Amino acid sequence: MNPERWERIQAVFHEALERPPAERREWVLSRAAGDLDLANDVLALVAEDEREDSLLDRGLDPIAAGVLASDSHPPPQVGHYRLGAMLGEGGMGVVYAATRPDLGQRVAIKILRDAWISPARRDRFAVEQTMLARLEHPSIARLLDADTLPDGTPWFAMEYVDGESLTRFCTVRGLSIRARVELVRDVCEAVQHAHEHAVMHRDLKPSNILVTREGRPKLLDFGIAKSLEAADPGVQKTRTELRLMTPAYAAPEQFQGVGQGVHTDVYALGAVLYELLTGRVPLDLQGRTPTEQAAIVLHQEPEKPSVVAKRAGLAAAGGVSWSDLDVICITALQKDPARRYRSVESLMRDLDHYLRGEPLEARPDTVGYRTGKFVRRNWRPLAVTAAVLMVVAALVATYTLRLRSARNDALAEARRTRQIQQFMNGLLSGDDPDAGPSDTLRVVDLLERSVARVNQFATEPAIQGELYETIGTMFRLLGRRAEADSMLSAALRVRQSRLGREHPDVARSLLALGELRLDQVRPDEAERLIREALELARRRASADPEALANATASLGKVLVAREDYERAIPMFEEAVRLDSVAGLPERERSKTLSELAGAHYHAGHLAVADSLSRLTLAMDRRLYGDRHPNVGGDLMDLGHFERDDGRLAEGERDFREAYDIYRGWWGEDHFETASALSELGGVLADENKLEEARVVLDRALAIRERVYGPDHPKVGLTINDVALLAEKQQRWDDAEVAYRRQIAIYRKAYHDHHEWIGVAWANLGTMEFHRKRFDAAERCLREALKGYEGTLPADHIEVAIAHFKLGRILLNMQHAMEAERESRIAYEIMTRQEPQGDWLTFVRADLVAEYQAMGRPAEAAKYRAPAADSAKVPATVATR
Amino acid sequence: MAAYHSDPPSPPGGGADSASADRRDLDEVFSVAYEELRRLAASVRRRERSLTLNPTALVNEAWIKLAGSPRLAQTSLPHFKRIAARAMRQVLVEAARRRSARKRGGPQAVFVTFDESAGAAAEWADDIVELDAALERLASLSPRQAQLVESRFFGGLDVPETARLLGVSEATAQRDWRAARAWLSSELRSSA
Repeated sequence: MNPERWERIQAVFHEALERPPAERREWVLSRAAGDLDLANDVLALVAEDEREDSLLDRGLDPIAAGVLASDSHPPPQVGHYRLGAMLGEGGMGVVYAATRPDLGQRVAIKILRDAWISPARRDRFAVEQTMLARLEHPSIARLLDADTLPDGTPWFAMEYVDGESLTRFCTVRGLSIRARVELVRDVCEAVQHAHEHAVMHRDLKPSNILVTREGRPKLLDFGIAKSLEAADPGVQKTRTELRLMTPAYAAPEQFQGVGQGVHTDVYALGAVLYELLTGRVPLDLQGRTPTEQAAIVLHQEPEKPSVVAKRAGLAAAGGVSWSDLDVICITALQKDPARRYRSVESLMRDLDHYLRGEPLEARPDTVGYRTGKFVRRNWRPLAVTAAVLMVVAALVATYTLRLRSARNDALAEARRTRQIQQFMNGLLSGDDPDAGPSDTLRVVDLLERSVARVNQFATEPAIQGELYETIGTMFRLLGRRAEADSMLSAALRVRQSRLGREHPDVARSLLALGELRLDQVRPDEAERLIREALELARRRASADPEALANATASLGKVLVAREDYERAIPMFEEAVRLDSVAGLPERERSKTLSELAGAHYHAGHLAVADSLSRLTLAMDRRLYGDRHPNVGGDLMDLGHFERDDGRLAEGERDFREAYDIYRGWWGEDHFETASALSELGGVLADENKLEEARVVLDRALAIRERVYGPDHPKVGLTINDVALLAEKQQRWDDAEVAYRRQIAIYRKAYHDHHEWIGVAWANLGTMEFHRKRFDAAERCLREALKGYEGTLPADHIEVAIAHFKLGRILLNMQHAMEAERESRIAYEIMTRQEPQGDWLTFVRADLVAEYQAMGRPAEAAKYRAPAADSAKVPATVATR
Repeated sequence: MAAYHSDPPSPPGGGADSASADRRDLDEVFSVAYEELRRLAASVRRRERSLTLNPTALVNEAWIKLAGSPRLAQTSLPHFKRIAARAMRQVLVEAARRRSARKRGGPQAVFVTFDESAGAAAEWADDIVELDAALERLASLSPRQAQLVESRFFGGLDVPETARLLGVSEATAQRDWRAARAWLSSELRSSA
């Protein structure tokens, strides 16, 4: 059976139905003219039509009821565990006590409702669980096992906790306010621990927080959301976001299904604290419909805890600073995440302040974030020199330690230490922090001088290697890739030849060089180097866990460079885990978290990415201060998410701060500074602050031209923004110049072979179309199609769009026949690739017009859409 | 974050972004609808076991809940209903598959459910799965008809609404339905 045959069958079927029932059979047989198969098919349909007992007649309701009714009886055996009594029932599922006969272990098993893991996803689910099982904290009930029942229902085995819910524990023992705050603080610590391992809870509430007889809180259900999400990333993202288990503790963003993250857990903790202090949840949602509940949580402000407590007669006890408790609760319960405590840790700090009788960090009217204006005299020069000093000092410290353990005699030791000291002096001589040219140039100058000196260490391969690597890394950070390449390559060479291929330093060099290759957009070489390093690191894993952690993270970066985000995410998560196993300082952890955020972002998990980035930003502010480029990088990431999410004002703010930081650290002529300006320009354009955007983009372009050279593809990217802005402002000639320049740049950089060349031509063509310069527009679109040939597959949607645009242009030029050819090609591709899309509607409208113009009304009718749809074809559809 | 040593990989403006944004939007609407319908179905089930579930009502309720969501800003009610029909179909098919699996084996088979409709329900579960497969086959013959059946049967759209949504006349929609219904029913009968 194929579509044509089906059409034919239907045609005969409908004709047959017009005949009286008794005549139908005969009529069909004669109409089929010998085609017995056709006759049989039609007759079967006719027979079916005459019956009325089909599934489709029954109506869906009873079927749905039957199908969705679930049995409420659990299986006796789940995995290795035998189920016992039911312990409780929550929104997500039912919890049973269980034992593991072979180990005599006592656990709690939670069987989820409403979740179903398809067989294809079960592996992921299992892997995710393995990783979560390592979340170890005395106050977090360990996830021991997780799997699915044969029918796909997920279940989780958790450490069995003998305790009472938090609220009950406090009530039964009549705990003081102070004791309650202490408990919440302990809970915060556990949650923070999980956050630092990139695990969020998202369903915190008193029934999930048990307290043992000894007064230790134990958090349940950590990681369940994460497991489900890992099993089914795309759809699951929305699933978990929308799951409102307990509205009373759910943050506003959970109702909206956007932007959840660590701040969501902060809100829940605030609600829990509120309840412990007042005996009531912050907002009364009893008996409300879901819509009403959402409205209340989003718009109604809770009463101050002090007011509620007083009314309930709980506030009698003296010595309680209710105003501080008010501030803490209200800050945690802010509707706008930006105004809440940014992390659980900051909430915890204020709880500590409260307990110690110190002033809080949160202020009643505070917006909760710091602005970028940060004035400190003479900070610039000192910071740069300090960085160099830090590096060198670290070097010295390392060598002092290493030399002590080496089997060298004291004399050699003295000689080496002196050599390094001399090196230090040499580096720092002639350095005047308060005079001279910009810092960047000064540091580079310094580094260039040091290269010559390093060559003097030819007899000391370990030291030489170390110095080459350090200098190479600094060059890389400054964007001087050529110099970085020669230094890092030298380091590797020296180490491999003089220290042996298995020496741990070799792994470090391989990694450093690999990361540089990523910068240089040579991913294959990068991968080769990094995998080699990873191999070496694995062999020495117990001796050098740090190297393994770093190599794993670097491999994650390679995967990101290859756009394999689904594999990059678990790689980075493993790196996070290895970071803490290796006992790496927070600085390193924050970098890995930041990478993880990036991978989530590219994979489309925007809320997770946003939240991880905020966490990293808070960590980095704490570790490095507010003016450090790492903080700038975090702000850039956040700005990006905010812009994508439509939160333009916040994006503008963050990009401005990032630009400020970069300009202060690297100077104006640096690629990072240009990036920040580019992004700022983009978001200003989105906000329609067009003149400001123009100033900013022009500056970004100028910097990029200086830093990369006028023909670099990076410059092309900025020119695109410039061109689009010019179009918005209707400065057509400027836009045309920009587009043409962009085309020229890409053609040169990519040897005439890149899809972006096609896109640039298409953009120019679209603009010409708007200016009604149809000849020019036609030429451009033909160039675009030429550009796509060989760079995109023939049925790519972009190619279809270009054909569509060309068709429309030709139609406007009254070349209906040629137009029809183009539109048809577009139509064919679009029906296959995006049958639901709007493009198809537009193409069909064009085809109708073309057939009408050619005097072929029958074909026009085939493509005709109802009046409503074709009326909404705007001329600007073809541009962005 | 490595991405900020170089720019994030955003291709120059033009069709690329808006087309893939459209696709993303539709996927989002679908997954949002899907999740909401599952939740609603489950909550109805939990509240009143004897209550007959009315999918059309569920779709409407889902719309009321989701209409304010920023994700659905570009979607109209009929458009939503069509997507929700697909989501509803998926919800039911998955539930049906689960039931079938339970019926077929595993330790759960030992347990008896006290659900009176268990007998008929088991049958219907298989039917729904068959219908789903038959609909897929129909889609390869006539995508429009498959969509029509889906919208009407699972989404509760009536003839005028379906006709409008698919861009055909009511007479055409009626005829399409009649033929599709006959074909699907005969497919179901022959696979029983």
